[in-house]
Amino acid sequence: MTDLAIEAKELHKSFGKVHAVRGLNLKVQRGEIFGLLGPNGAGKTTSLEMLEGLVQPDSGEIRLLGLDWRAAGNDIRNRIGVQFQSTQLDEKIKVREVLEMYSKYYDKPRRVDDLLQLLQLEEKADAYQLKLSGGQRQRLALGLALVNDPELVFLDEPTTGLDPQARQSFWDLVRHLKNEGRTVLITTHYMDEAEALCDQIGIMDHGQILQLGTPRELIASLNQPSYAEIEFQGSAPDAHAFVAKIGMPVDVKPQHWMVALHDPKRDLQHVLACIESLNLPMQQLHVRRASLEDVFLQRTGRSLRE
Amino acid sequence: MISRIFISQFRMGLKLYVRRPAAIFWMMAFPLLMLVGLGTVFSGSADTGIKLVWAQQDALSSSDQALQQALKELGVTVEKITPDQAAQRWQNGKLPVMLEKVNNQTSLRVNSYLAGQGMPVVALVQQGFLMTQARARGAGELARIPMVMESPGGHHDGPYAAYLLPGLLGLNLLMMGVFSICMVDVDFRVKGIYKRLATTPLPRHIYLAAQMSVRLVVVILTAVVLMLVGAVLFGIHNQGSYLALFGLILLGTACFASMGYLLASFASTVEAANGIANLIFLPLMMLSGVYFSLDSAPEWLQKASDFTPLTPLLKALRAVFNDGAVLATQAPSIMIISVWTVVLFIFATRRFRWV
Repeated sequence: MTDLAIEAKELHKSFGKVHAVRGLNLKVQRGEIFGLLGPNGAGKTTSLEMLEGLVQPDSGEIRLLGLDWRAAGNDIRNRIGVQFQSTQLDEKIKVREVLEMYSKYYDKPRRVDDLLQLLQLEEKADAYQLKLSGGQRQRLALGLALVNDPELVFLDEPTTGLDPQARQSFWDLVRHLKNEGRTVLITTHYMDEAEALCDQIGIMDHGQILQLGTPRELIASLNQPSYAEIEFQGSAPDAHAFVAKIGMPVDVKPQHWMVALHDPKRDLQHVLACIESLNLPMQQLHVRRASLEDVFLQRTGRSLRE
Repeated sequence: MISRIFISQFRMGLKLYVRRPAAIFWMMAFPLLMLVGLGTVFSGSADTGIKLVWAQQDALSSSDQALQQALKELGVTVEKITPDQAAQRWQNGKLPVMLEKVNNQTSLRVNSYLAGQGMPVVALVQQGFLMTQARARGAGELARIPMVMESPGGHHDGPYAAYLLPGLLGLNLLMMGVFSICMVDVDFRVKGIYKRLATTPLPRHIYLAAQMSVRLVVVILTAVVLMLVGAVLFGIHNQGSYLALFGLILLGTACFASMGYLLASFASTVEAANGIANLIFLPLMMLSGVYFSLDSAPEWLQKASDFTPLTPLLKALRAVFNDGAVLATQAPSIMIISVWTVVLFIFATRRFRWV
């Protein structure tokens, strides 16, 4: 039995003139949570749909749990769970009913009552699915992905549009999946989500994975452990003098400036000294550690949240 | 396990169907409303018997009286009205023929538009005139070919509702196909409801079979209610075997459900589905004999209509329901429907996709 839950080689997919996925390579170990992190339009959903067997790649190979889609499609479907970014169900189907209906598709389904308890949807068991809140609906969608006790779970941007509490709830469920020994592939454009959940992250843009590694490795690759953000009241003053004096790269924005600090202790003192000597109207100074957002920015030149 | 999935899909399908009020209206209430509405509105019995309007002002002359007697013997019902009333009804185009006095001479006036109805009366009036002439000459009775006028029976007899009821059964099946199946299918696909199922091991053919079975239940329920209302309100009863009716309904469901899925496979948007559905629905509804028989339509149209799926189904349904026929006598119609069913089914299942 292979150690790899997912193996994808040189996947390509185009839609007309749009080359959505350009040579995706992926190796996901069993039992790990792998994140595909990238902005909208990066090709995450298309990649995911190819892995899930919904879309035929133009070229490339996919192996899930050591199996090939064409040869063992139903076998794979029995062992994976899928959650779409937005799951459309019949309006008037009830929570318990849809879980039961789906569980009949599989050989060894989980008990629906256990699922309802796990998802914290017991009170809503007999409610129509359209009456659920956003967070509840995403938990139901996750439940549908779990009815067959899957070894491998695909989650497509599962917390988009959820309030902070709902997101935390969902993250707890995902961690629980890992504790149960399942493999999870999650796509997201939320840096905090990727950092909180993932063992491995693939930074993706323009249809390719640009960098691979654990969150820590990726951030360390920046060689910049911290950033100093200088905020002004109103708009920032002219930056030329500061940039000339400081002798370090400065990211100049209308409302604030950002300086990367290689050696936080020494560099911070230098920044403050420059501000003081030029008598700049600084209102606040934030020092924060480098994040995946910064990794993404450096790799692609654009922000995750575009 | 396959049967377990089928049963679960079937039960869930029924539950969900019942939770959609619009579906219930169009499939069950609509045919009922049509039966009660149209059946009541058109309940006036067809004119049987020969009628003649005679515009008279003064008292009848003796030759007129003799003519009136002869007409009575010939079975013509004479209605006497004043010339003014006659002129009025003539203007309204309601009289196929009438007897009147022109230049003191009794003469016949025939409506050229209603010549079909008028001429038989004219023939009888001429006959009556010859009879009075022969009697006046004392020449004895005029020999004539015996004539008897009666209804062929079956669905040509009885209230319109009896003709309409099997037509509505067929209409129900057609609507099930093009609206309940086709439109909903495209809607589900466009919304992405099927996409989720594509990631599960649910076999497509089980899903389709369950959906068709749900529709079968609904159609049968509708048929039962229609027949109950028909019996209570109009005194209409099934003259044939219920088993034969069920068999035809089963065949019709398979046929039109397949048609629905096949049509749906050509529409990628709900608007396109709407267009395709109506393109098929309207001609079939009007030209298959749902509301009226195509007996007076041109030959080529009748022949063409005989090879569409709904017309033979209605012919067979009426043969069983109105005339008490046995299915074996409907073999040609059943053949045509069966061929349609097999072809539509094969292509529908081949073309059905989750995505």
